Amino acid sequence: MEQLRLSEWLGWDPLREENATKDARLLPSDKPGVSLPAMLRRRLDNAGRATCDILAGLDPEARCPLIHASRHGDANFTLSMLKALANQEPLSPTRFSMSVHNATLGVHAIANHHYRPLQALGASGNEFNALLWEARGYLAEGHGAVVIVFSEGTLPGDYIDCTPHPGHACAVGLRLSLTQGRALVAEDATPGAAPTPLDIIDWLGGCSPRLAAAPGWRLEEA
Amino acid sequence: MNQSVPLSLDLKHMIIDTLELEDVTPEDIDDHAPLFGEGLGLDSIDALELGLALQKRYGVTLDAEAEDTRRHFASLAALQALVEERRVN
Repeated sequence: MEQLRLSEWLGWDPLREENATKDARLLPSDKPGVSLPAMLRRRLDNAGRATCDILAGLDPEARCPLIHASRHGDANFTLSMLKALANQEPLSPTRFSMSVHNATLGVHAIANHHYRPLQALGASGNEFNALLWEARGYLAEGHGAVVIVFSEGTLPGDYIDCTPHPGHACAVGLRLSLTQGRALVAEDATPGAAPTPLDIIDWLGGCSPRLAAAPGWRLEEA
Repeated sequence: MNQSVPLSLDLKHMIIDTLELEDVTPEDIDDHAPLFGEGLGLDSIDALELGLALQKRYGVTLDAEAEDTRRHFASLAALQALVEERRVN
């Protein structure tokens, strides 16, 4: 089977210094959402805005299938709606309309006139490999490249200590193909590993030689 | 609500805060310009959000299916006339 290849990647980590990775492709940490008009930007949190900036950067001509994964989605908005329901208050129509997992992709698609396939995933900690499997499927169908983005928003205080989380909002995106860039080489699985966007930025930026996942991954030597 | 604030200004603040309009000030909202489409650029979700805000803030209830609802949302001046006529808070 042909190997997935990494053509390009971008990351967003508001707490990381730009020189903290050997191969810095980090977006500016402040005010994400430059790829969106203000009237659409207001609908997303910073992780969603950064996701859109990464999608626009990796697919500037809106030609690629796009896949977005988030383990928790916009947990703050979801929790605020649950609290409103518990208090028998009416739900915000805006929050409700944005509470679906593919909302971020939808905003990006509207802003960028993107008409190719869009897919949103949650995979209980296995988001990165789920993104790769789905990307592999689109490439097998004949698409030249696929862009995947993995993001996490801030976690509400009520959920801290209840679920794994990278600790702060972050996002990373990869443009994958079967023909261009360094191959992703599968390695032994690390049982229980649940890589976050920060782990993937560390790996792609050269701070760690492999990504602990099930299976794990390393990049082919340049 | 603060009774000392003119209703027009109070409505503008409500719109900006409720709809999270970035970089928009009350001075940017023309009393007679369309709120939706070409004017302020609001959309159908904003209309629902504004309807909820009017209910919470002024006790004004709107029927989404009513013919005159579109007219009430045409501009800030129309919205102000609606609130002045029907407010209970």
